[in-house]
This record gives sequence, C-alpha cells and structure tokens, in this order.
Amino acid sequence: MERPGGTERPVDLLVEGFRRGTPGAFEAIVRAHQDRIYSFCARMLSDREDALDAAQEVFLSAWRNLSGFREEAALSTWLLRIAANRCLNRIRRRKSLSEREIPWPGPAGEEDEGFIFQPEDGGADRPDRLAEASEMGEILTEALLRLDPASRWMVLLSDVEGFSYGEIAALADVPVGTVKSRLHRARMAMRRLLSPVA
Amino acid sequence: MDTMDCPRARNLLSEYQDSTLDAATEAALTTHLRGCGECASCAGSLLAVRELLRGLPPDPAPPELLARVVAAVEAQGRNARADSASGGTDAARPFLSRLRVPLEAAAAVLLFASVYWYQQSSAPPARPPSGPSSVISSETGKGSSSGPVAVMERAAENPPSGIRLPRGIPKTPKKEESPAAALPRTWAAERLPSVPAVRASTDAERIVPFDPSTGPTADPATGEAPAFQGRRSPEREIAVEVKPENREGAEERIAEAALRLGGVVEWIEHGRGGAAPDVAGSVRVILPEAAAGGFLDELRRVGTVPHEGLPPAIDISAGPWPGTVAYAVRIRVR
Repeated sequence: MERPGGTERPVDLLVEGFRRGTPGAFEAIVRAHQDRIYSFCARMLSDREDALDAAQEVFLSAWRNLSGFREEAALSTWLLRIAANRCLNRIRRRKSLSEREIPWPGPAGEEDEGFIFQPEDGGADRPDRLAEASEMGEILTEALLRLDPASRWMVLLSDVEGFSYGEIAALADVPVGTVKSRLHRARMAMRRLLSPVA
Repeated sequence: MDTMDCPRARNLLSEYQDSTLDAATEAALTTHLRGCGECASCAGSLLAVRELLRGLPPDPAPPELLARVVAAVEAQGRNARADSASGGTDAARPFLSRLRVPLEAAAAVLLFASVYWYQQSSAPPARPPSGPSSVISSETGKGSSSGPVAVMERAAENPPSGIRLPRGIPKTPKKEESPAAALPRTWAAERLPSVPAVRASTDAERIVPFDPSTGPTADPATGEAPAFQGRRSPEREIAVEVKPENREGAEERIAEAALRLGGVVEWIEHGRGGAAPDVAGSVRVILPEAAAGGFLDELRRVGTVPHEGLPPAIDISAGPWPGTVAYAVRIRVR
C-alpha cells in the first residue's frame, strides 16, 4: 500500500489544516499539545496560575508564527522550545524567587558534599516525608522543584522530553560540554533527592 | 587493571549511560564499576532516576487553558480586523497631516529638478554619457540587469525592511494565506517569537520518512528505476464505524487523538477505498506502546470499533521503532 499523494514526506495534519484556514484546526492543535505544554510549564514554574499564563503565551505565540513553522522539527518540539523560553523569562522576572532560592546544584563536586535538601519550611520536605508521598509523579515533581531553574529546565527537556544535548545547547546558547556537565550535576542531585525511593 | 578513581568515574556516569564516551574511557570506567561497589550502586541509582524521569507522564491541562487560548486568539483576530478596517480612513489622516511639511518640501524639490532637467535636455548634445545603470545596450536594445526595472523586480522579490528580525526567525512566505496573515503588519518587539522556529528535532519526535535505500534497485536491463515501494513497518488495521452525520472530520479527530497521546500521524487518506471499497478514509499513526490502549479508547469515542479481528489492545504489531505501535485506521460509514 502506497502513501496517498505519492509523497514520502509525513504531514502534520493539524498544522496543514491551520495553514489552509480549516475551522477548528488551531483548537485541535491546542487540544493535542496542551497537556504536555502545561505540564512542562507547571513543573518549571511550580505555580498553577503562572503555568496557565505561560502555556497560554506559548499557544498564542504559536498562533502568530505557525505560518512560518517549517516542520523541520516536530510541532511539539517547537512548542516546548517556546515554553522553555517563556518559563525562563518568567523565572528571571521573579526577583523574590531568586532571593529565596539557593542555586542548586552548585559547582561540580558540591552535590556530594553533604547536601540534603533545600530547607523551606522546617522539615516538611524531609526525605522521609517525600518517600511517604503516594504518587511517584508527585515525588519527581517535588524533587525537580528543588533544582535551580537553570538546571531544572535542562532536566525536563533532556530526561522527560527527550531533547538531545545539542538541541539544549543551541537553545541555551552554551557549549554542549556545559550542558553535559550541568545535566550530570542535576541528575546526581536528583539521585540524592530520590535515594529513598529510586 | 582499574586505572580510574571514584570521583572521575562518577563524573562520567551520565556520559557512560549515554554511550558518548570514547572507547578507552568507556572501557576504563567499565573496569572500575566492576570493582567498585559504591560507584556501581551510584550508577544504578542514577540510571533508575533517569528512567523514572523518562516515564513521567504529563499532567492534564486545566480545562480553562483551552478556553483562554481560544478567547485570546479570537480577540487578537478581532483587533487585527478592526485595525485593517480603520486603516484606510481615520488612520491615514494623522499620518498624512504629519507629512504635510515634508510633502511640500518634496514638491518644491521636484519642481526644481524638473526645471533643471528641462534646461539640461534642451541644451546642445555634447555631453558625456550618463552612468552605466541607465545605459541601454546598443546590441540588444534591452536594459541592463542593473537597470531600474531589474532593480524593482529584485526589490519585489526581496522587499527591504527597516526591521531587523531576530536570528533564526523565518520569513513568512508572502503567498501563503493563513489565519495569521490577518495580523497587523507592524510588530511590537514583545510579540516577536523569542525562539528560533527551525531546529533539528530529537529522534524520538522526528517523523522519520520511509528509507529509500530499502527500495528496489534499478533494472540492469533497462537502466530504469522501478517504482519505489516504501518500506512498511508492521501495522495493525483497525476499522472504525461512524454514523453519516459524524463522518465529517473523523480523520482529524483520529489524528488529534494520536497526537494527544504522544504519537505521530504519518498520513491521511480521504475518501479512497484502498483495499476495501467501503472504506471512506484512512489514517496511519504511530504511537508509544503504552498509549495503544488509550488510543483504542479514543477511537471508540470517534465511532464504533467492531470486535471481529481486533486483538487485545496490547497484542499489537510492532511499529517502526522500538516501543512503538502502528495503526492503519479505516473509517467506514454505517
């Protein structure tokens, strides 16, 4: 059985529908990707309203620029890149957060020097409390939020979303080696955080 | 012999698990891990964490997200239409009024230039030729490539712009009509996309075309390449019976379900029977194995999935990549 049209190039039907002006095509795109984009934003921002706002910005940006999207990457990849930038911008704007959060993991080697958890409220996030959480997803999300944002988004894109080192390096405008070392430190930090359950 | 110390070994674990180390380093680390229980334990737990993260499912988006996005898009569309509707009258007046003095000045310059041109053109013809850009070739009688017509043509192809777009932002093809084309043509900086729109994808998400190298070779007798028969990955055919009133858009609903479940849509076939004449349309999708059951549930929301010939949801032919399944969904109208 041959593919219709005689072309071997796969087509994102929803993007094609949007370009043709098919009614409801953009809504279908949002429906198709909203869970993934919202989850990424929520895990990055740890605030439901902020995540909703960021996800809305992502889809509005997509609506404005989708006609120029050339499908060299999957639409989901493109949307996640927008989401990463939007979330990082929001985090940068949170001055209070930067004052409250201690960058972690720190320089190479520090993560194995007795770090336990970022203290927030006197022990509510102790490892034993985390281990008692009922859902692994909640535990992972909780652990991710302990990472500093610059490491968190790399872990989310790399280990959750499957981006390559090269893609992340291009997105962050840093060398691949920097991405590798930062990701490794973050993963080791996650390992220590999750040691009661992993 | 173990030639690696523990700190270095632990620093290399991620790359070791990604198989990106050179052969010598990888071998040295393998030797170290065989002899060091602590590092081996560390490697095991690191791998477990990465696998947990890889399996982290997306949380469902709150229902208001879709409503908010749709409302915002509609509002922007209305604003764009309102801007374009008012652009020819009210908006033009202040613009022209601001240009009144420059236009008057331009008129004076034009008057001066035309008087000067009249005086020059009526003078005796003993003048040196003008610049090359306006020369008409005596051999061809046609304007040179740098003439004003050619310049105008080039300008039409590559319109000059005073706006320097950020690196990586692709120019929108002028001939494409899309809903986004209704947007205003002037862009505030914050409305420009903040990321490049074109980058390579991950292998996990790229929609990989069929490999032409697996097709038949050219016929040595004739030298003509026979029609390429694309490599087909295994797939399971599934019929979905829809009512006539639900026929419209069934392919799109199936495609949307596949995308929502993390799959890809390879193609869609409208209104062609293919092997079965009663098939009104087909959609071929590839999904993660874990999404197979969910996809069948989604199909049952589109229409009725007959039980005959349908295996248990998990017992599906493999897809083109490890951990994937492929479906060819046939739509029948009942």
